[in-house]
Amino acid sequence: MQNDLGGEPPRAERPEEPSRVDGSRRGALKVLVALGGAAYAGAIVVPAVTMLAPSSEGGAGAARWMRVCRLAELTEGEPRRVVVVGDERDAYTVTKDQLLGSIWVTKKGESVTALSAVCPHLGCSIDLNGDKKSFSCPCHTSKFSLAGAAEAGPSPRGMDPLVVRVVDGHVEVDFKLFRQGIAERKEVG
Amino acid sequence: MKLGDWLDERTGYRAISRKFVEATVPGGARFAYAWGAALGIVLLLEAVTGVLLMTVYSPSATTAWASVAYLQQKVPGGWIVRGLHQFGAQAAIVLAVIHVGYAIARGAYRKPRELTYWLSLAMVGLVVVTALTGNPLRWDQRGFWGLRVETGIIGTVPVVGGVLQQLLLGGGTPGHMTLSRLYTLHTVVLPFLLGAIAAKHLWLSRKHGPALATPADAVKSDRYFPTQAARDVIVAVAVLGVIGALTWMRHGAPLDAPADPTSDYPARPEWYFLALYEMRKPFPGKLELIATVVIPGLVAGYLVLLPLLDKKADRGVMKRLPLLAPVGLFGVAAGVLTFASMRTDAADAEFGKAVAKAEAQGTKALALAQEGVPPEGALAMLRNHPETRRVALFEQHCASCHRMGDLGPPKDKDTAPDLTGFGTKAWAKRVMEEPDHDAMFGKTAFKGEMPSMTKPPADPEAAKAFTAMAPADLDAIADFLAVQAQGKKGEGLPGEKLVSQRCTSCHRFDGKTDDEDSLAPELRGWASVPWILAQIDDPGSGATYPKGAMDPKLEGHMPAFKDKLSEKDRALLAKFVQEQAGK
Ligand code: FES
Repeated sequence: MQNDLGGEPPRAERPEEPSRVDGSRRGALKVLVALGGAAYAGAIVVPAVTMLAPSSEGGAGAARWMRVCRLAELTEGEPRRVVVVGDERDAYTVTKDQLLGSIWVTKKGESVTALSAVCPHLGCSIDLNGDKKSFSCPCHTSKFSLAGAAEAGPSPRGMDPLVVRVVDGHVEVDFKLFRQGIAERKEVG
Repeated sequence: MKLGDWLDERTGYRAISRKFVEATVPGGARFAYAWGAALGIVLLLEAVTGVLLMTVYSPSATTAWASVAYLQQKVPGGWIVRGLHQFGAQAAIVLAVIHVGYAIARGAYRKPRELTYWLSLAMVGLVVVTALTGNPLRWDQRGFWGLRVETGIIGTVPVVGGVLQQLLLGGGTPGHMTLSRLYTLHTVVLPFLLGAIAAKHLWLSRKHGPALATPADAVKSDRYFPTQAARDVIVAVAVLGVIGALTWMRHGAPLDAPADPTSDYPARPEWYFLALYEMRKPFPGKLELIATVVIPGLVAGYLVLLPLLDKKADRGVMKRLPLLAPVGLFGVAAGVLTFASMRTDAADAEFGKAVAKAEAQGTKALALAQEGVPPEGALAMLRNHPETRRVALFEQHCASCHRMGDLGPPKDKDTAPDLTGFGTKAWAKRVMEEPDHDAMFGKTAFKGEMPSMTKPPADPEAAKAFTAMAPADLDAIADFLAVQAQGKKGEGLPGEKLVSQRCTSCHRFDGKTDDEDSLAPELRGWASVPWILAQIDDPGSGATYPKGAMDPKLEGHMPAFKDKLSEKDRALLAKFVQEQAGK
């Protein structure tokens, strides 16, 4: 529906020549476009990768001693699940008194041992079997001895031991988390 | 000039809608073609409900669960939107599989439709991945543990696994960053990819039209509108009916207790992953990659290569049987494995118990959330609520010495009086009858300090002079003490006089005693909340026991908690001990 008064003016015909510029200028423009494009892409990709890449920051390696229970609460040779409570630093917040994880502690004479309750397979929570003679993970039925050695199931390594000490009758543990699914024991932050 | 003309001149919409109305369906309209359309409409539903959810949802480890609970409980219609979104996602998976399954059975992947087919395979994958990134967003137990296991599996993939896992988690462990990243994937990256692929797929399938079953079909043809459109709408509405019914029955989508990394939650994958979950069982240790990566990879590879393998001219299912058999096998195997997995769990009583426990925890968390979630997050809410907290406090600080009901030190490890029923008449009576019983003061430094009122002492000389207290008097004193524990004065009760006559030779009563060196405790207000609180604060303060009797520095005595616990926590404990007596 053309309107004579307000219609669009006719457009210029396309030039016959493929381009108005000659060979060398064409080459230069091509390089310009490529360089400009690369600069533009780089300006996006580099910060993007830097931003998204997992940060190396984190408390890996540093001791985080946490008080978990009293020595007197433990029964000789019988593992007990205790909860680790402490301040949690998660990206932009620090929250006091958070549940950080749970561990199994066992008293043997005067010494105490501790095992992470996180299954080294894929990270489910390990339970003590009813007969209290072994541990098992309900997720894919990994089985561990009381000492934490892997006995059956898909777990690639035994339960992760944690360093413990007893201070004034209190059990303290150096709480850490480890990577799952691999045979080596690698700490995560 | 009419508005329609004006608009058409600028958009050309008439030509477009004419194209739509006049489009034909070669071979005739069929219900079988409606699955794809239904999938498209469900994805549209996902987009709309998803945007609505975004107006309430808040992606951080401390707010995610709370915002979903709020949506579910307080936002009008929130539960409907959430239910439609979640069950819609599951419907999308089912529809995508049906759609592709039909294309395979029909041989619709063959030249020139290979690309159309590959794009549809990519869509199945993307629909599943989108669902997977959506599940943990609610940050409840199921979502959280599912995420732990899924990212755990990703972490085991050789070479790239570790980096990919950290990239998804935004660090070493699941937290705020994990949610931000999953949220970005789920609401921006994946939907755009899915939308782009769906558009291209639709465009291509329009271009090539449906693959005809028989040459005879070539002469038949229907208009898309309304013949095929009606079929599309009927199927889509039926699917919507199922989604709506599920939403109604479950009152939205399920929401467990907030994610708790310390719990013993029995993790299981969503139903559409149960087959994969079950399949790993026969592959222990290092062989596990066979189940998690190799077999799924081979199945996917076969489906992708199908158009290149199938060169026969005939489209009949029978003629292509050798090629289709593996696909059928995958389907049957998936079904069998899913069923087997469900049956194993259904038969597992331990698992059932764990599930019931998790459900109870979820109900409790939702009830608490009604009052609002504190800024520390839903998990802290659950942990710090008086009901939960006081039990935890008792377990942590009292239960290594005192027993109270189900709470207590390991068998025979108690070293302090049993607080079960502390302050009741029965308790008061018992301490007068057998003060040196193991459950009373028998395991403390006070053993032997108080004589029994009913049994003669062991020393034969003293036994001669002993007269047992009359049962009526014993009763009256016990009655009076029980009243004290209630926090009442009980003035004028017969027991009050008896106490001031018969007990004050050792015990303090209103701060007075005949024997200043005695270690026996104050009986006025005994076992009342202020009395217990004073004892918890500092047993050596002189308020409950005489100064020095309970010096916390003395070995084996009760420690003072004034500096160890907050005022709130101490008050909570005192009330807890007193309340439990009444049970
Ligand atoms: S997570 Fe423990 S066996 Fe798989």
